[in-house]
Amino acid sequence: MNAQQPKTAPAANAPKELGKPLVPTTQINRIRFSPDGKMLVAACFDGTVKRWDVSGKEPIELPAITGHNGWVTSLAFAGTALFSVDSWGRLTATDLSAKESKKLWSVEAAHDGWLRGVAVSPNGERLITGGKDGFARLWNTADGKQIGDFEAKADVLSVCYSPGGKSVFVGDLFGVVRELHTVPGKPVRTFEAKELHKLDRIQDVGGVKNLLISGDGKTLFAAGAEPKSGGFVQCVPLIVAFDLATGKRLSTYKGANDNEGYVTDMAWHPDGYVIGTTSGQPGQGKLFCWKPGEAAPFFSGGKLPNCHSVALHPKGEIVAVSATNANSSGNGRVKGMGGDYPANTSPIQLWTVPKA
Amino acid sequence: MLCTPVEHQISRRQFMGAAGGSALSLGGLVTPAVAEKLRKERRQVLFVWLDGGMSQLESWDPKPNTPFGGPFRSIQTTVPGIQISELMPQSAKLMKHLAIVRSVSTQDNSHSAGVDRINRGDPKNRGVVYPFFGSAVSKLVGNNDSGLPSYIWVKPLSGGFIYKDAGFLGPKYGALALGDGKPPENLLRPKEIAPEDDDERNELRKLLDSKYAAERRKEFTEANTHAFEMAAQLQKKIELFDLSKLPQKDQDRYGTHDLGRHMLLARRLLEEGVTFVKVTSYGWDTHGDHFNGAASLHPKFDRPFAAIIEDMRDRGMLDNVLVIACAEFGRTPRINGHIGRDHWPEAWSVCMAGRGIKGGVVAGKTNDKGTEVTSDPVDIGGLFHTWYKALGIDPKEVEFRNGGQPLPIAHEEMKPVTEVLA
Repeated sequence: MNAQQPKTAPAANAPKELGKPLVPTTQINRIRFSPDGKMLVAACFDGTVKRWDVSGKEPIELPAITGHNGWVTSLAFAGTALFSVDSWGRLTATDLSAKESKKLWSVEAAHDGWLRGVAVSPNGERLITGGKDGFARLWNTADGKQIGDFEAKADVLSVCYSPGGKSVFVGDLFGVVRELHTVPGKPVRTFEAKELHKLDRIQDVGGVKNLLISGDGKTLFAAGAEPKSGGFVQCVPLIVAFDLATGKRLSTYKGANDNEGYVTDMAWHPDGYVIGTTSGQPGQGKLFCWKPGEAAPFFSGGKLPNCHSVALHPKGEIVAVSATNANSSGNGRVKGMGGDYPANTSPIQLWTVPKA
Repeated sequence: MLCTPVEHQISRRQFMGAAGGSALSLGGLVTPAVAEKLRKERRQVLFVWLDGGMSQLESWDPKPNTPFGGPFRSIQTTVPGIQISELMPQSAKLMKHLAIVRSVSTQDNSHSAGVDRINRGDPKNRGVVYPFFGSAVSKLVGNNDSGLPSYIWVKPLSGGFIYKDAGFLGPKYGALALGDGKPPENLLRPKEIAPEDDDERNELRKLLDSKYAAERRKEFTEANTHAFEMAAQLQKKIELFDLSKLPQKDQDRYGTHDLGRHMLLARRLLEEGVTFVKVTSYGWDTHGDHFNGAASLHPKFDRPFAAIIEDMRDRGMLDNVLVIACAEFGRTPRINGHIGRDHWPEAWSVCMAGRGIKGGVVAGKTNDKGTEVTSDPVDIGGLFHTWYKALGIDPKEVEFRNGGQPLPIAHEEMKPVTEVLA
């Protein structure tokens, strides 16, 4: 084992499964816990936001939020308001304070097509969205009014807010992160992690698929993978950390091999580490925990393949991971015994958080 | 190997006679009526091969807001009632020139066998290797008096003379592959060699060739000679390969990536009269992260595909050139665990335009999830019938002869897709 290979978790620190997985009837792009930790929501391929009440012993599925088209791609909370975006460009705000959800407002064409990401400002008053149309846009959370617009001139894959809410970060297909003021203006800083992108033949592969800022607000993490090829998209997971004060690169986490795929999602644990998931190729996606500065994650594993999202419970003790059903690696043509042809699904497993 | 060459009715002799025996261009001494007839009778093919398999669901047969529809929208084309994927906006503008067959259903889900089966038309097994469509057209149509090789393959990576495409027709009907769209290496006489020295070298080569040929099978030595002749033909047209002299606007419209540059070269070759130009793009086998792949790949097909159709329309070339966009299969409706689409020969789409094709048409259909063809399925044999008919070659009247063996040019139990024929 070399320094880059993940460690096997010590038995005492290994995460434990909590109950049986939730099995929605569709695949999932994103999962998030509500700020009070009582609800888990999932952005789904079938154009719905599925919800579970996770406040009791057993999760209880609640009525899904409808009204989106294509895929629901990303989610963000501000208190009891949930902001969801879809691949046809819609941005919707929904009040989840009661058992029945209530639509607050919706912008049908917030972007032209695939809306990739949404994030809420620390004070809950603003939203940033980014899309395939090459734009990042600022919105009022209260009424959905657009208050700012920035053209990145490249497919925007990820967005996040700075800790103080005075700037936003926008990650693109070509491995560039731009920091912008939250009032309309020109880019103030650029962070480059161009190894997250590769032009393979004519396909642009990879990009800054996820952005995260450490709990102390000092470090920016740009994540995706170091792509080896298009097509199958074989790639080694890669996180590049930047010092927000100086803009300089800090540590880098690179996965063990090109079957681990790209980093699909990340969360910051209050104990000072990144919890992330990787897509896996084929079927080898992982849940990992990485302390910035260390060469390898202190945990890498999990029984679910092809992980697509991770959500950390606000108390920091439970993590939810959405993956894909068993035998879904290259199973596009397989028909059931009766000739049926069901969609794959994304089981969600709750775990205890691996300890550092 | 004989065909019944009704297509040679306007022969080189007729052309030369009309041109007063001089080798002038059509714009020279031929009468306008003869020139027009010649132009109309010129039969050419642009065959765009998206190797690995382009997804029909993100191109010609979208199923938005369905379980397997993926994230993308469909958009209205310029033909009322016909929608295609939002990733193909330029093609949507030219829909009145395009015909889509959405009911393609073929037999092979592997690349290794599928590529050959599709390119050879998957005829009944008669113990012979059928030619690729390019070699077959090269044989049946000839070289259009272009003075250029009749079957040119523009592709990424390496080039060379690809005789395997020719099957039983024999190596001389193989493809001349232009690796990365570049002419064969060492095509031009090095400056340090004087022309008279070069002539002497060629005489020596011919002498050695004849000695070599005397000891070998004729078809292979013919192919060698043919390859040299093709190289010599290209030598006279070396300026074709310098795309930098074209207006920047053209280069921008087609794109500066491989497929864009290669399609622009294809236009130049077709303008010069090359009978069959195949353009290959690799990397379409998107088993993982398919939708991001499609978001990058499909527009890079859409732009040059629409640009070349637009240019050929403006030049009146769509009367002569049959355009086909094809692959070895489509991609699965089900989205796998890597968010990819796998191989799906069961129900996919092929797009055509140009000579003999009725534009603004969709033939065949799939069910609401895109999993099955719900109209009469069209196998590749049926598409070969369609393409030959579009070229004015009737598979019922024309056949190959392999020695004394008559062989149908397309699967004899299949029929053309008449809805897309003009």
